Amino acid sequence: MRDTKCETVRRELEELMLGDDCSMSAMQHLQECGDCREFHQKQTKLRQIVGGLGMVEAPADFDFRLRARLAHESSSAGFHLRAMQWSFATKSFAAATLVLLFVGGVVYVRTIVNHDAKLELANLRTSEPPQPAARPAERQVVVPEQTHVVASDNGPRQVNRSEKRVAARKAPLAAVDFGSERPTVISNSQMHSPIFPIDASVQSLRFSFDDGRGNARTISVPTITFGSQRVLPAPAQLAQKRDTVW
Amino acid sequence: MNTLTTIDELAFAPSLQQEVLEDTTSDHALLEATRTGDEDAFAELVSRYRNQITSYIYRMTSDYDNAVDLAQETFVRVYRARDRYQRSYAFSTYIYRIATNLAISELRKRKRRKLVSLTGFFQSSDGAEPKELNPPDGRPLQDSELVDAERRNAVQRAIGTLPEKYRAPLILRDVDGRSYDEIARILETSEGTVKSRISRARGFLREKMRAYL
Repeated sequence: MRDTKCETVRRELEELMLGDDCSMSAMQHLQECGDCREFHQKQTKLRQIVGGLGMVEAPADFDFRLRARLAHESSSAGFHLRAMQWSFATKSFAAATLVLLFVGGVVYVRTIVNHDAKLELANLRTSEPPQPAARPAERQVVVPEQTHVVASDNGPRQVNRSEKRVAARKAPLAAVDFGSERPTVISNSQMHSPIFPIDASVQSLRFSFDDGRGNARTISVPTITFGSQRVLPAPAQLAQKRDTVW
Repeated sequence: MNTLTTIDELAFAPSLQQEVLEDTTSDHALLEATRTGDEDAFAELVSRYRNQITSYIYRMTSDYDNAVDLAQETFVRVYRARDRYQRSYAFSTYIYRIATNLAISELRKRKRRKLVSLTGFFQSSDGAEPKELNPPDGRPLQDSELVDAERRNAVQRAIGTLPEKYRAPLILRDVDGRSYDEIARILETSEGTVKSRISRARGFLREKMRAYL
């Protein structure tokens, strides 16, 4: 095991630059310690050899090649930048065009649909028969589907191509909601008779389905009647509730 | 423009001029000029460091062509990062750090590729001490230059077998003659670690170069 003094001296020798003088104490130790002296000699020799490796020179065309490389890099970087900008501009333009087309298409379709709907409503209003002077007590039952019926009451007839197209365009009208009409309210003063009819559709309800390719099917719903109902004159006529237990 | 009016100023003038001249030609000033588009300033920087960097990387990688490529890459990176350069430490430290990182990266790439090197044939697979690549011929050589060349080759090969963490500080200290402080800054480690690694590296080399010592 090496002495602490040897360790210290060797560390000092290690840290010296080649050619520097060591301290006096280290010098004295080197004169006394053979191991450290040998270490110092070998170390110095090794460092001389390693230090003697010298400098390897760069090739003569180093600058030229470096300039070419830098020029190539800058040009390729510029190209990439331009390509990136171009592609970004193209992408933006394409995206904007798509959005415009989509919005335009939506607006166009909505305009057409609204226009057709207005036309249908106008047709519906003009084609509605004049309403008879209905009794106010009677509920007006509107059967909108009848305006769509393609098949007449006389039975299905041949539908030509233009009529099919018209029928297909009329199809959305089936969604018009007529249920918002208020039901007729019959007050007691209006009831002259304790028996009054409940008004229901007097005609059978017919639905005609057309798939737009000439295939039509008509469904007829029979007339619904609720008969009649008697109005109870007074609650006293009801059976008296007995206090007795069953 | 200043005019010299006294004898003292006259005597001081050359040193002032020298100082100004040195300031405009310092590494920092050259890089500053490069930043503003002065290509000649960058060419001056390249001419100052091309041999040092090429030599350093060559000592690290033991491959001259590769070293030239990596030296060029070092300058390209300096050029690219000219706007981000900070003058907090010396330019030489900065460029050596880039070169060291590139060299170590190359050594690791080689290790991954399991590139078979000449020295690799003499290294045992279990990580034991590598055998001497080229034992010295006992016969007397005709020419002292041949002896020196042989010794240099042996040293270069021996350095090439050192682990990279020992190789870089040894080259920076014993080949390039840099201070421990600068080496620590280049390798981004402490001075104590640098000293310890250099000592270990010399110990490895002593063993490998026993025949030449």
